[in-house]
Amino acid sequence: MRVIVADDSVLFREGLAKLLEAAGFEVVGQASNAEDLDRLVGRVRASLVILDIRMPPTQTDEGLVAAKRIRRQHPEVSVLLLSHHVESHHALELLGQSPDRVGYLLKDRVGDLSEFLDAVRRVGNGGSAVDPLVVSQLLGRKRSRDLIEDLTDREQSVLALMAEGRSNDAIASTLKISPKTLEAHIGTIYSKLELEPAGADHRRVLAVLNYLRSS
Amino acid sequence: MTKVQRRLIQAVALAVVGLACLSEVFYINVLPNRLVWQHPLARYPPWAYVVVDIVPGSCFVLAGLIAWSLRPRNRVGLLMMGVGVGLLIPAVALSPPLATGIIGEIFLVTFGSVWAVVLIHLVRSFYVVVPLSGLLQWGLLVAHVFPLATAARVIPPACFVVGLGLVVRRWVLGGRARRRSLSPLFWPLVAFTIAFPLYAAIALAGLVSGRSLGSLLVVSPLLFVVALPLGFLIGLLRTGLDMSSVGDLVVRLSDGLAPDQLQPALARALHDPSLEVVYWLPTHAWFADLEGQRVDLPTADSERAASVLGDPAAPVAALLYDSSLVHEGQLVDTAAAAVNLALENARLQVELRAQLEEVRQSRARLVDAADSERRRVERDLHDGAQQQLVTLLLSLQLTKTEALKHRAPATAAMVEANIVALKKALAELRELARGIHPTILTQAGLVPAILALGERCPMRVDVTGDLGDGHLAPQLEAALYFVVAEAITNAVKHSKGRRICVAIGSGSGLATIEVADDGMGGADPSLGSGLRGLSDRVAAVGGRLVVTSDPGIGTSVRAEIPCG
Repeated sequence: MRVIVADDSVLFREGLAKLLEAAGFEVVGQASNAEDLDRLVGRVRASLVILDIRMPPTQTDEGLVAAKRIRRQHPEVSVLLLSHHVESHHALELLGQSPDRVGYLLKDRVGDLSEFLDAVRRVGNGGSAVDPLVVSQLLGRKRSRDLIEDLTDREQSVLALMAEGRSNDAIASTLKISPKTLEAHIGTIYSKLELEPAGADHRRVLAVLNYLRSS
Repeated sequence: MTKVQRRLIQAVALAVVGLACLSEVFYINVLPNRLVWQHPLARYPPWAYVVVDIVPGSCFVLAGLIAWSLRPRNRVGLLMMGVGVGLLIPAVALSPPLATGIIGEIFLVTFGSVWAVVLIHLVRSFYVVVPLSGLLQWGLLVAHVFPLATAARVIPPACFVVGLGLVVRRWVLGGRARRRSLSPLFWPLVAFTIAFPLYAAIALAGLVSGRSLGSLLVVSPLLFVVALPLGFLIGLLRTGLDMSSVGDLVVRLSDGLAPDQLQPALARALHDPSLEVVYWLPTHAWFADLEGQRVDLPTADSERAASVLGDPAAPVAALLYDSSLVHEGQLVDTAAAAVNLALENARLQVELRAQLEEVRQSRARLVDAADSERRRVERDLHDGAQQQLVTLLLSLQLTKTEALKHRAPATAAMVEANIVALKKALAELRELARGIHPTILTQAGLVPAILALGERCPMRVDVTGDLGDGHLAPQLEAALYFVVAEAITNAVKHSKGRRICVAIGSGSGLATIEVADDGMGGADPSLGSGLRGLSDRVAAVGGRLVVTSDPGIGTSVRAEIPCG
């Protein structure tokens, strides 16, 4: 998988590139700011861009703006946004109306290598990834707890993993349950929360996030 | 002038009036035929002669008597009597010793025009200063020395035209205050201007046609003539009324007049709506209005004039007014003296306001500085410590991968332990940075930042409303954010409630945020240093913080910040 890495810290860029290459990814370019990144994406064919939300010159949300621009101009390129802080506001802004080929993770996730690489692969392959911290914040709210109090603990775990953008296989193996059991759990969740079945894995991310945030 | 002298002059003037009346009667009854041809009203009944010759002069004398008794120190009354006596001279010239001889003719020619010269002095003294050009001053001098001769007939109309010209010019050029000061003289003068040609025309028509035009018609122009002494009298009395309006001002002052009412009250007393009061600020060494804005005094040649009150080296205030009021210097001084104490108070208040404004600005600058310092610390943490620790995390991750590759599971486990510790440190650092200054506030604005606060809160938080169109200035958003953050923290710690409502609103130049919980209430806003600090912070950006906490109802923290 061809990947571009954008971050204004050269040490982080290089480290991340090494990590990705060790895991079998091909890092085809690096950029230190949004402008260079735009040029790079236009010039080099890549299937995934991993970028920091804060980049020069203003160090506020250049990365977010750049990510939205790439998604508009190069819909075939997946975008994974990294940040030192995660906010559900940014997550929903980035996921927008089409949650495929997009991810939003805490930078610290590079410390959970297998999960991080799993998220990178998921996003690169057209799926989505939402940081567990965003999901747990949304689920941890008192109002959300009231909403999901009818769900069993197992069902709540399934809901959280669904909100992170995991596939059924991944959820089943994480929770060590059979795909059939998982199907049953998901059906119960949908009926208990009165949610419309949302089809593909990444579609249901948005449905669940919106449900938790707006309800 | 003593009272006796004054009485004497008054008696003489009245005697002249009496003499004039007697002369007329004598003239009509004793010499009915001799000089009749000389009089322009020859064909009219005798009473018409008497009225035309006696009434204007008598009116001036009587009005002058009244004016002088009311205002003994004002020359206007005396000069009015002078004009009256002058006007009666033709009638006196008809008295028995003078009427029949050449002496009477000489007397009439010599003194017959004196009234016009006196009238010019009257006009000038009535307005204190009517500036005269050099040519006019020479003309007036000639008129004094030479008010007579055969050319004397030219002097009254010439003087009259000069006086009228002066008054009309000032009327046309002057503003409202000036016109008001001229009006008692202006309208009678206009009437007088109409009366003279009218009188002449009627008399001429009578002479030429030889027919009677009706006595009342002939006498009617006199009504206009009488208006002039009346105008002077009214004008003089109104100066008295102006003084009494200053008296009203004093009464209002004793009732306590707020500084912002001082200017309208003075403007009313001095009849100049354009009047301004400006106050001396010793610290700046300039004059300022009530708002503390600098005001420069008018230059000498402008349409505005200024009176500086108090010691010139350390003035209290200055009055700026229409330059026509310069001629009513006494009135301005009296009014200024009346309001002196109130002006001193007002000046202190203006000075205080200017200082308060400075303090307010410096407080806002302090909060601004603290805010940008917070942002800087957060940025340093982000770009420095957080970034370096995450890079270290990456490198540990690579080390672990290498260790596993070289089949060193013990090393890999040690590295993993470090990774776990480092992740914990990073999480703590993240929370620290968020507490110093949340990036979402800079990145996405107040409402998303408040929503994010709600998401992290263990109590249920409902956020309603928004800021209408877009963002506030960063320091306002920061102030409101920290109000909400502190209020939510307090509610979680102390309220024992179940939910928190955050209502955001904006409109008519005011942004408001209210954080209300449904807890036990009874919080003492003066106790919490957090609330105290927030109150200062909100005040620094010109807003206010209201905390209500009734037992059993819950606590509400409401911040209002002007954002116009």
